[in-house]
Amino acid sequence: MNTKLKVSEISKIYPGCIANDKVSLEFGSGKIYALLGENGAGKSTLVKILSGVVKPDEGEVFLNNESIKLNSPLDAKKNNIGMVFQHFNLFETLSVFENLSIDSDKKDEDLRDLVNGILEKYNFKIDLDIPVLNLSAGQKQKVEIIRCLIRNPKVLIMDEPTSVLTEQETDDLFISLKQFSKDGILIIYITHKLKEVLSLCDEVAVMRKGKVVSVSNTIDEKIESLANKMVGENLNTIKKKINNFKNSEEILKISNLNFKSDDPYETNLNNLNLSLKKGECLGIAGISGNGQNELFQILSGEIITEGSSIMFRNKEIGKLNPRERREYLMAFSPEDRISQAAVPELKIYENVALNNFKSSNFFEKGLVNEKKIKEHSKKILSNFSVNTDNVELKSQFLSGGNLQKLIIGRELITSPELLVCFNPTWGLDVGAINYIHETLIQINEQGKSSILISTDNDELLKLSDRICVIYKGKLSKIMNADTVTAEKLGILMGGGTID
Amino acid sequence: MIKIEKRNDVSRSIYFLTPVLAIFLTLFGGGIIFYILGFNPIEALKFFFITPISDLYGLSELLVKATPLCLIAIGLSFCFKSNNWNIGAEGQLIFGGIVGGGVALLFYNHGGFYVLPIIILSGAIGGMLFAMIPAILKTYFNTNEILVSLMLVYVAKLLLDYLVVGPWSNPEGFNFPETRQFSESARMPILFDGLRIHAGIFITLITVFLSWLILYKTYLGFQIKVSGLSLKTAKYAGYKGKTMIIIVFMISGACAGLAGVGEITGPIGQLHRNISPDYGFTAIIVAFLGRLNPVGIIFASLIVALTYLGAETAQIFLQVPKYTGQVFQGMILFFLLGSDYLLFFKIKFLGLKKNEL
Repeated sequence: MNTKLKVSEISKIYPGCIANDKVSLEFGSGKIYALLGENGAGKSTLVKILSGVVKPDEGEVFLNNESIKLNSPLDAKKNNIGMVFQHFNLFETLSVFENLSIDSDKKDEDLRDLVNGILEKYNFKIDLDIPVLNLSAGQKQKVEIIRCLIRNPKVLIMDEPTSVLTEQETDDLFISLKQFSKDGILIIYITHKLKEVLSLCDEVAVMRKGKVVSVSNTIDEKIESLANKMVGENLNTIKKKINNFKNSEEILKISNLNFKSDDPYETNLNNLNLSLKKGECLGIAGISGNGQNELFQILSGEIITEGSSIMFRNKEIGKLNPRERREYLMAFSPEDRISQAAVPELKIYENVALNNFKSSNFFEKGLVNEKKIKEHSKKILSNFSVNTDNVELKSQFLSGGNLQKLIIGRELITSPELLVCFNPTWGLDVGAINYIHETLIQINEQGKSSILISTDNDELLKLSDRICVIYKGKLSKIMNADTVTAEKLGILMGGGTID
Repeated sequence: MIKIEKRNDVSRSIYFLTPVLAIFLTLFGGGIIFYILGFNPIEALKFFFITPISDLYGLSELLVKATPLCLIAIGLSFCFKSNNWNIGAEGQLIFGGIVGGGVALLFYNHGGFYVLPIIILSGAIGGMLFAMIPAILKTYFNTNEILVSLMLVYVAKLLLDYLVVGPWSNPEGFNFPETRQFSESARMPILFDGLRIHAGIFITLITVFLSWLILYKTYLGFQIKVSGLSLKTAKYAGYKGKTMIIIVFMISGACAGLAGVGEITGPIGQLHRNISPDYGFTAIIVAFLGRLNPVGIIFASLIVALTYLGAETAQIFLQVPKYTGQVFQGMILFFLLGSDYLLFFKIKFLGLKKNEL
């Protein structure tokens, strides 16, 4: 049973973003392939194309040298391509067996025999007759895998399978996957976790910005070499002049910050400590999904944590909500500029009014002062070179770059002492990126501080005075930016240690 | 191949015109139903929609029915605009009626201009407190407000049942399940002799105006709007989500309570088992038909009120059950949701591509 899967010149263009740019890859059975890349690198799109969820604009998929059409998930099933998504598609209140029998056309007794055979063969221990909601995440994932195995798959695609698993469950999963591979199933393993690639996979393809940037044997790779390929190693940009902040006033001090989430898809934060001086930019690097989202929300006050301390300009602000923190001159630019930092259906001036602080007088005695808000908005539009002067325009009609300028402008026009921004330039064109970068350098020159949480290493090395890395919810030690190299970041981002 | 895509921008005029389209489609659908039942559709629709309002009495009845519908729908628009799904306005109406009615009975045979305002106020407070139950359970215990508010409707109904049968029943009432008739000082003033239209309509109009002011001109209204469009953004902007949930439920409950007290002190004049022909549920349709917009809701309440009247006329002249009115209400909602779907999404018919043949 020899399976060959080949994708040839696959392209998929979404408005404003090239998700897959002429992607060509070849896979053969008996090996485990890793598809590695940052969020937004295009792996998910490629996987969706292979599972029939998304149709490519161009390019073809070949299974055993025959071109196949994948117009729907059903086509993928017919071609024996199985897929386990990161988020489970199970009916929680139905039993395991009922979940399996839903999309099977076999008789119940035959199906039960088949499933019992699979359980025995791979040493899975799952009670078929209990409701799925009583299973652990790892067991639920096994149910999804069994659902694929029932159909004798030639190809099994696993999308970020370990994000909800414990370490023991992860080890079990790897043993099973190796076994499947021995049985002739071609396995494509999508991840951004470097260690997993090295311990599990035979070959690794790295994607960045929609393109395949490298295909290699994992034996030839190390964590740092993979990390560099993933985030790009183009470090020719000019660095900001690094200042010495030893004698500057401390503006922010976070001590002993812990966060434990009830949501298994979120990352817990462990004992974070950091401090920031006036006029300094602290960069926080890391592969996405290591706790950046949670850290941003804790800094902005969207998440309030118990028992930790956040001192800002010598005041404890840990219990304040975002609006109250703004009064203390903090400002926030979240990663999701389209549906969090702004509301697409609202007009520009209404979006400006979201950043409401007492001295703005946007709302006097509870009433909306439209004139004031519009004046203020006009000022932002012109000061921050947003490509329109119509404050009545709905913000959904702004391009990504102009929207980000509006948001950064809205946050900065109040002259905050600290700006926290999270991936401020993702998805923007070069012109807009440069503008945002210049703006961020400028505020530091004016003696204002910033925290830059970013998954773009180029950006971090260009803008930060000090850099640390967040990995699995823990911060590395904070290093001066001039001592940081791409290699060091790569090691830390992959969970390694230096010195 | 058929492909469904979200439309990028929907023109404002079309957004407010689709409810009108939905009403025409309802008339058309209603005509078909009458035809199948063996009536001349044009005649039947005339009985349903024209005859009831062809005299002064009919117009007054229309306003009597529209008054509570409009009031409740306005209150609900606060909840719906901010993504809070209060389905229990009927219960809040009944509870407001119970509290208001209780106070009215307390002032039995008691004159004085202050009696009616006290009753009205206590009715509003009753509805408000009743609406705070789902709000508080939602904010502090993460319950689903749809279920809680809906189930509380039955609690209010059974409580009313108990009161009118038991402790509050009319001592001279031969065990009929009803209270005494309220005294004159506890009744809404009638606007014209011989017609049932009462002063409650002014409460409704004032509430509409205040709601417009709050929703479009105040910080609270702005926060409600933002939370309705994106909870993530509301959180990021630092709005106090919990407080806001409680406030919109309080407003909504107070409006429903006012509607309840308006009914019992207006056309009914006492408490009995059926103080509301499901106004609280029908107002949900009114709120959406009026696009959650105060002016839109005024028009919508008139149209939906007409289905109540039409059903009564049709029962008399066509001998069809009065539940036909609910059929029409259902059709309005159905066609409204249907045209909304086409409004927000476009359906593309793609020819089969060559490689798919």
